[in-house]
Amino acid sequence: MNISPEVQFDLHRRMVRIRLFEEAAGRLAEAAKLPGFLHLYVGEEAVAAGVCAALNDDDHITSTHRGHGHLVAKGGDLNRMMAELMGKSTGYCKGKGGSMHISDLSLGMLGANGIVGAGSPIAVGAAFANRYRKKGQVAVAFFGDGATNIGAFHEAANMACALHLPIVFACENNEYGEFTPRDQTMAITDIVDRAAGYGMPGVIVDGMDAIAVHEATLEAVERARAGGGPSLIEAKTYRFYNHHGVQNLGLKYRSDDEVARWKERDPIFTLEDRMIENKVATRQQFDDIWADWRAAIDRAIQFAEESPLPTPDQVLVDVYTTGGAR
Amino acid sequence: MSTVGIIVNPNAGKDIRRLVTPATHTSDVTKVGIVRRAIVAATESGAERILLAPDRHRLAERAADGLDAPIQIVDEPITGSRYDTIAAARRFWKEQVGAIVALGGDGTSRDVALGWPDSPLVAVSTGTNNVFPSAIDGTSAGAAAGFVATGAVALDEVGRRSKRILVRIDDADSSVDDVALVDLAFVDTDFIGARAVRDPHTVSRVVAAIATPTSTGLSSIAGRLHPVDRHAPGGVLVEMGAGERSIRVPLAPGSFTTMSIADVRSLADGEEIVFTGRTILAFDGERDRTVGDDGRVAIRIDSGGPILIDVDRTLQLAAERRLFDPPTKTSDHGDVHGH
Repeated sequence: MNISPEVQFDLHRRMVRIRLFEEAAGRLAEAAKLPGFLHLYVGEEAVAAGVCAALNDDDHITSTHRGHGHLVAKGGDLNRMMAELMGKSTGYCKGKGGSMHISDLSLGMLGANGIVGAGSPIAVGAAFANRYRKKGQVAVAFFGDGATNIGAFHEAANMACALHLPIVFACENNEYGEFTPRDQTMAITDIVDRAAGYGMPGVIVDGMDAIAVHEATLEAVERARAGGGPSLIEAKTYRFYNHHGVQNLGLKYRSDDEVARWKERDPIFTLEDRMIENKVATRQQFDDIWADWRAAIDRAIQFAEESPLPTPDQVLVDVYTTGGAR
Repeated sequence: MSTVGIIVNPNAGKDIRRLVTPATHTSDVTKVGIVRRAIVAATESGAERILLAPDRHRLAERAADGLDAPIQIVDEPITGSRYDTIAAARRFWKEQVGAIVALGGDGTSRDVALGWPDSPLVAVSTGTNNVFPSAIDGTSAGAAAGFVATGAVALDEVGRRSKRILVRIDDADSSVDDVALVDLAFVDTDFIGARAVRDPHTVSRVVAAIATPTSTGLSSIAGRLHPVDRHAPGGVLVEMGAGERSIRVPLAPGSFTTMSIADVRSLADGEEIVFTGRTILAFDGERDRTVGDDGRVAIRIDSGGPILIDVDRTLQLAAERRLFDPPTKTSDHGDVHGH
């Protein structure tokens, strides 16, 4: 298939939004303006953009501790996201959840998740519900390579396949579980080798190439919508910053050369180069896109900074349900 | 010293086509098993040295682990790309390897051909469209490679030179030479993307050196219109588009589609054809090179490809020559197990 210029620009804009949001968040964290942990998605933008551009607004995703990119790509409100990172009452979780608990049910984003591997069973639940709704919705579970070593992933993949659910497992294999190289925690190299064990197809795509990710996701989503069941996409990708925060905290678990090699394949700049080469876009158009979204991020920061902190009487509000099952 | 070289492509058999077709997924464990069987069999056939190409998945190390065989993993930089296969083939040439066992699809054999054009090759299919390599177990592949490497069966007796499609791409800034072993396709997409050619509507032209009715992939188009055996000289050019004929083809394993054919014609051995203008070139089924508006693509088919070893014939000759008999009637030649 050929990806239309409109979709190419869409993929590009989603990635630029993620990049700018994350770099702004990184700067704010370094300036001690963001409380809590911050796991930046910079470098992996092609995965969230390529996947989410293949989804409808009412399709579901579950995310990870590195979840900003997924919500931004699904259309998340930058103001509410930035406010949440700053712990402000206008944030997605009223300032009480922080980076790893943002969700937006109106966009089908069922939540970031601080527990590695915990998103996949939730996506299976959504897929199970979607099958009964019969509206053709699919669910996508984002997770990392390390999450596939967790029991919850195994249970989710097994149940999804046993029930033949409309779900796509989207693995962001960035080669490190926190600070540990993948080969020290598993005896296989390709996560996709696990797929056959559950009874689903699995494919590898270049996770630094939004077009490649998008092509694969279109196929996987179409397959799921048509009743073809689960599939697994393994996107080989890389995070440009540390496991959390911006600095490496003095931990040299990745060589500078390795980081530099991956940065040469920056997913945004390689897409821009190719679109210009194809005469689909001009440098000026890209400059304008970057400028527009920089302004949007600046507005989000201003919105967050001007928003109030939650008041002490809100500490126990939204913690326990009072209405029973709904 | 009689030497067998083994190359395993860790990336083969795992691409996007598994989402849209029932193409085989070939896991790393499967590949390691094939390599282990090939090592044991090559040693059993008398190879004095087994060279393994290194790879990013460390399949070579895993295959060698615990085996009592004269194994050496060659010291080459690992990139995680097809250049690992190209570099390994070149290294095997320098090491005077007597026979290579290469695991992968058509693209892997192509990379071997780029690294060592006249390599003596046993090509084992672990890829998607396996027109060039054969579905053969590692045990037989390793045994045949071992007999050829020792000279117990001469390469002249069982090897036949393959064809190749030579491609020269010129534009204002550069000139590049490349090779395909099975087919070269012109694909009208803006991106290399997920590499595999899946959408029949994007294919405008196919040049095939091997096109049999049993082929899958792009060469199956020519294979169903104008078959060309792997050993017959020349090839075939198919132009897609509105014409008198359309044909059902398996563009990927287990997946049939209709292709409209505008023109088909034979290509003689060495005949050059030239095309100009923007396109993406797919080599042996994978989009790989972009050609700009000012690009010029010159193509010809010759017989300068790898020397493909006929495994059946090799082992038949080995049997006739009693090469499977233990060295002496009294020797205690114990059982060998590759696990």
